[in-house]
Amino acid sequence: MERIGDVESSLQFGEEIERLMTIPHESGTASSFTALLKLPANQAMELLHDSSEKPYDYSLNCTSSSSHLHFPSNLDLLERASRLSVFSTAAAQDSPETTNSSQNSLKVKNEPTETDSNPKSSPEISDPMSQTQTKCQRSGKRKGREKKVKNSSKKSKSAENEKPEETEKLPYVHVRARRGQATDSHSLAERARREKINARMKLLQELVPGCNKISGTALVLDEIINHVQTLQHQVEMLSMRLAAVNPRINFNLDNLFPAESGSLVEGNFPSMVMPLTWAQVQPIGNRQQQQQLWHFDTLHQPVWGDNPNFITPENSLLSYDSSANSVSMHSNRLKMEL
Amino acid sequence: MGGEEDDDDEDEEDALVGVVISRMPPPSSIKKEFLKKWLVGLKALSNSRSSSTSKKEMSVLERKKAIKLSADVAMASLKNGTTSWSRALIQNASKDGNNRTLLKSMLGSEYDKKLRIGSTTTSIMCSKGIRNTTVLRRSCGLRRARKISKDQRVRAGLMAKRLVKKRTQVLRSLVPGGEYMDEYSLFEETLDYIMSLRAQVDVMRRLANASAFSSKS
Repeated sequence: MERIGDVESSLQFGEEIERLMTIPHESGTASSFTALLKLPANQAMELLHDSSEKPYDYSLNCTSSSSHLHFPSNLDLLERASRLSVFSTAAAQDSPETTNSSQNSLKVKNEPTETDSNPKSSPEISDPMSQTQTKCQRSGKRKGREKKVKNSSKKSKSAENEKPEETEKLPYVHVRARRGQATDSHSLAERARREKINARMKLLQELVPGCNKISGTALVLDEIINHVQTLQHQVEMLSMRLAAVNPRINFNLDNLFPAESGSLVEGNFPSMVMPLTWAQVQPIGNRQQQQQLWHFDTLHQPVWGDNPNFITPENSLLSYDSSANSVSMHSNRLKMEL
Repeated sequence: MGGEEDDDDEDEEDALVGVVISRMPPPSSIKKEFLKKWLVGLKALSNSRSSSTSKKEMSVLERKKAIKLSADVAMASLKNGTTSWSRALIQNASKDGNNRTLLKSMLGSEYDKKLRIGSTTTSIMCSKGIRNTTVLRRSCGLRRARKISKDQRVRAGLMAKRLVKKRTQVLRSLVPGGEYMDEYSLFEETLDYIMSLRAQVDVMRRLANASAFSSKS
């Protein structure tokens, strides 16, 4: 089982860490584990918060002092510490094979496993951990960089969609350090940020037509900028058109409607035989015919929602009013509104 | 491998979803609301113009500006201050004193409240933005000493980053209120802004077509 393998590998690291511990702490420059210990609340908290994925562990860490209770978190800490030790000291470590295997084993699982305690390594490990735990009591409020990200770059789409949603809901950002990358808090935070931004970029890519095929942030941004500029120019052009059409800025919807509703009806129901042809629509000034049109519209009102391609706004504006009043009042009201 | 097959399926799915999302027209409810508000604004404008002492005919450009302004404000007011760009747009509009009557009629009595809320949020964002290093850097005109690297890959990566930065800067200038946003919110706002712009263009185009047609007949 994976878990047993993990325990074993982490036990190996427990011994390694033990060995490292015998080195005097005062050097404090290069050695990874001493660096680990020397880091003030920062990374120790990070490590501890790694284990605080499930809240009860955190409380266990901080409050209880008995060694056997510490154990699940200790294993997590071990894993993190081992990873740190592996990453920060380049060639100093012996047994690169074990490190590789541990990396692989770490890669495989998605969550730090809360394995059962192994009484052998517990007394040895609890000592350094207790130091970090005292620090935990001080900074309970830390922002919590518990980092977990799915290792594989190939994610299922649903998972990918869930991921950005998760990061938005939860206060903690889950990012996992990928193999061969630094694990200090800054780069992890940066990576989390980048992942969020990339998720947004993907959404934008989907929104802007023609961006799907493009790869590369700069080109996609190009397309997006182009799209926004196009839309803004279109707004300008359309407002110019509207200004040119009307000598005064009032849109007399009354005059607009006969033409529109004719086109609407035609467009929506091309299969139906239209009683109104274009020729008939043109000379409409007659209220009766307008009434007929209004009735048409109200009858077909529920269908408008299904055909958003057609002029729904004007028509629905009509229907808003038509429900309240009789037909003869319509045109007056609309004119008043304008 | 199963993973590769999944990828192909995902790509197809992605493409389909992309097509659907990009071609999907904005919801008609938004368009209805927009049209209503816009017409209210236009009416207010025409009324104020007719009652003004000058009684001059507005030039085409003035009319165009008024139409565009009322359309933009109508769109922004639909958001009710939820998005940053809408707030920024309304604020920019309110800076010009001539627009007061228009804005009051369109946004109603809540206009003052919203403006105050909007101004506080944007001022907070401004203060944050000033602390934001990108804004500082840009404003100071600093050019950070670029890493001189001989590795081609690294150089390409740096160049890519520079390009991306330039483009985000352009995007900031396009989206109202974009100067003070961080990258992540900039993209969110862009998304929303694009959707609303689409709806706005849609409605305006239909109205223009309809009025052009009616004027022809």
